Amino acid sequence: MLTILKSEWFKLRKSNIIGILLVGPLIGLGAGIGADIAEAAGMMNEWYMLLIYMNLPYAVLFLPLVTGVLASLVCRYEHQAGGWKQLLALPVTRGKVFAAKYVLILLLVLFIQLFYLAAIVGAGLYKGVADPFPAAIIWKSILGGWVAAFPLVAMQLWMSVWFKSFAAPFAVNVVFTLPSILAMNSEKVGPYYPWAQPFAMMYPATENGDIFFIPWEQLMTVIGGFFLLFYLGGYFYFQRKAV
Amino acid sequence: MEYIVKTENLSKHFGQEKAVSGLEMKIPKGEIYGFLGPNGAGKTTTIRMLLGLMKPTSGRIEIFQNDLKQERLNILRRVGSLVESPSYYPHLTAKENLEALRKIVGVPKQRIDEVLEIVRLTAAGDKKVKGFSLGMKQRLGIAASLLNNPELLILDEPTNGLDPSGIIEIRNLIKSLPSECGMTVLISSHLLSEIDQMATTVGIVTKGKMIFQDSIEAMRMFAQQSVLLKVSESDKAWRTLLGRGMKAGLDNGIISLPEQSDENVAETVRGLVADGFSVYRVEEERRSLEDIFLQMTREEQAG
Ligand SMILES: Nc1ncnc2c1ncn2[C@@H]1O[C@H](COP(=O)(O)OP(=O)(O)OP(=O)(O)O)[C@@H](O)[C@H]1O
Ligand SMILES: [Mg+2]
Repeated sequence: MLTILKSEWFKLRKSNIIGILLVGPLIGLGAGIGADIAEAAGMMNEWYMLLIYMNLPYAVLFLPLVTGVLASLVCRYEHQAGGWKQLLALPVTRGKVFAAKYVLILLLVLFIQLFYLAAIVGAGLYKGVADPFPAAIIWKSILGGWVAAFPLVAMQLWMSVWFKSFAAPFAVNVVFTLPSILAMNSEKVGPYYPWAQPFAMMYPATENGDIFFIPWEQLMTVIGGFFLLFYLGGYFYFQRKAV
Repeated sequence: MEYIVKTENLSKHFGQEKAVSGLEMKIPKGEIYGFLGPNGAGKTTTIRMLLGLMKPTSGRIEIFQNDLKQERLNILRRVGSLVESPSYYPHLTAKENLEALRKIVGVPKQRIDEVLEIVRLTAAGDKKVKGFSLGMKQRLGIAASLLNNPELLILDEPTNGLDPSGIIEIRNLIKSLPSECGMTVLISSHLLSEIDQMATTVGIVTKGKMIFQDSIEAMRMFAQQSVLLKVSESDKAWRTLLGRGMKAGLDNGIISLPEQSDENVAETVRGLVADGFSVYRVEEERRSLEDIFLQMTREEQAG
């Protein structure tokens, strides 16, 4: 498993991914720098305000979309010229190949989240935010966004293994991501819609006793449940795929 | 006999189409097995099943005397393969392509240079594969198949896209593998001449069915040779021979004698000369394997 992961990283490393890792945090940075956080002065910690502004484009749109792009990337070079048959004729199980690709995307998403953390700090420094840095809350937001991406990554990996083209999985992703703007505002649908979870889990709330910003049950059922559903869907599809 | 590959009643159906049906392949150790068949015969489909890339509709596969279903990983560790068009990662160089595979098969790094040397690709080792010619990609594919020092090498149309000197190189390489590395080789092709020059055992498949499987010598025996005689007054000469109770054919003024020993031919000629016929030519008709192959596949289609 570790050897497959190393091989996957080796293949991906050579395909200019650094740009893709930086796009989101840069968008966030832009939103942060352009944000009008002065209105919050005195009412709440300005860092919260900054985070909320930055989260809007980042957590609602960018984070869900980038999971799809990364999933397509780690499958693209296998689709291009018979990579699947060469890889799967090696002494590897399909389950491990699938898991390795999945873990690789998760690690990349974690990197993106860390870059995003840097973007938050950068935007705050640029703005001269004087309030104390709420480290615990911000870390919760960063890691929460990462966890919220688990089911989305699984879904996108499934689609990317399935479709040879770059466009098809991306279209699927857009179709599911855009409604989250609506779902987010709905008390009823919002908590159950997987693509709305990154925003929910990155939205800073005051201490609620839970580990993340959404209730524990929602984390387990919605994120855990959809993760299982999508991961197993992709896994079983890949097991049976003829290459 | 110890079989490295043995299939029992192996079948693969795509909907109604029976791409492979009831295949009983037997590859003895140390042989170069030529897997021969026209386009669409089911060679690649069979090879895919041997590598576990595709599940058989029915039947069983044993490799190294282990069941493929149960021992897939242990079997594949000892197998090298090249299936259909060469596989590669276009954005990587030749060396990086091999490195990506090496990380998984876990052989020492220097093996990469060795296999590149074997297929004479050392000079292009640091070039991106997307710029490679078809023949270079094919060589890279062969290099990749040799990476893990396999005991069984499965090559699907390996000389596809190679230039004549490349074909000879690869042919010599393949021929040397059983004796030098103790490998058993399965090589598929739709070209009989190619198999004829490399294989020690032949399996001929058409429309998913094995119609012949034996040593290459046995296949050549199939090419019943006959002796052709060109004589004066061929009609009369032919009847004379028949009168002596010999089996002879007459075609376009040429007399043909089925498989004859040297003495029999000499005797026949002496007899004809004594009877006053002039013997202009005595030659052996050697049916090419091509003819046999065509005949076999035609018979199969007719029957
Ligand atoms: N994935 C698939 N789905 C449907 N039919 C298939 C599939 N793969 C192969 N076939 C069919 O199975 C038959 C055998 O194909 P196969 O590729 O095994 O032939 P082959 O002997 O390798 O031919 P060639 O010499 O052209 O490489 C063909 O009729 C082909 O159309
Ligand atoms: Mg083929």
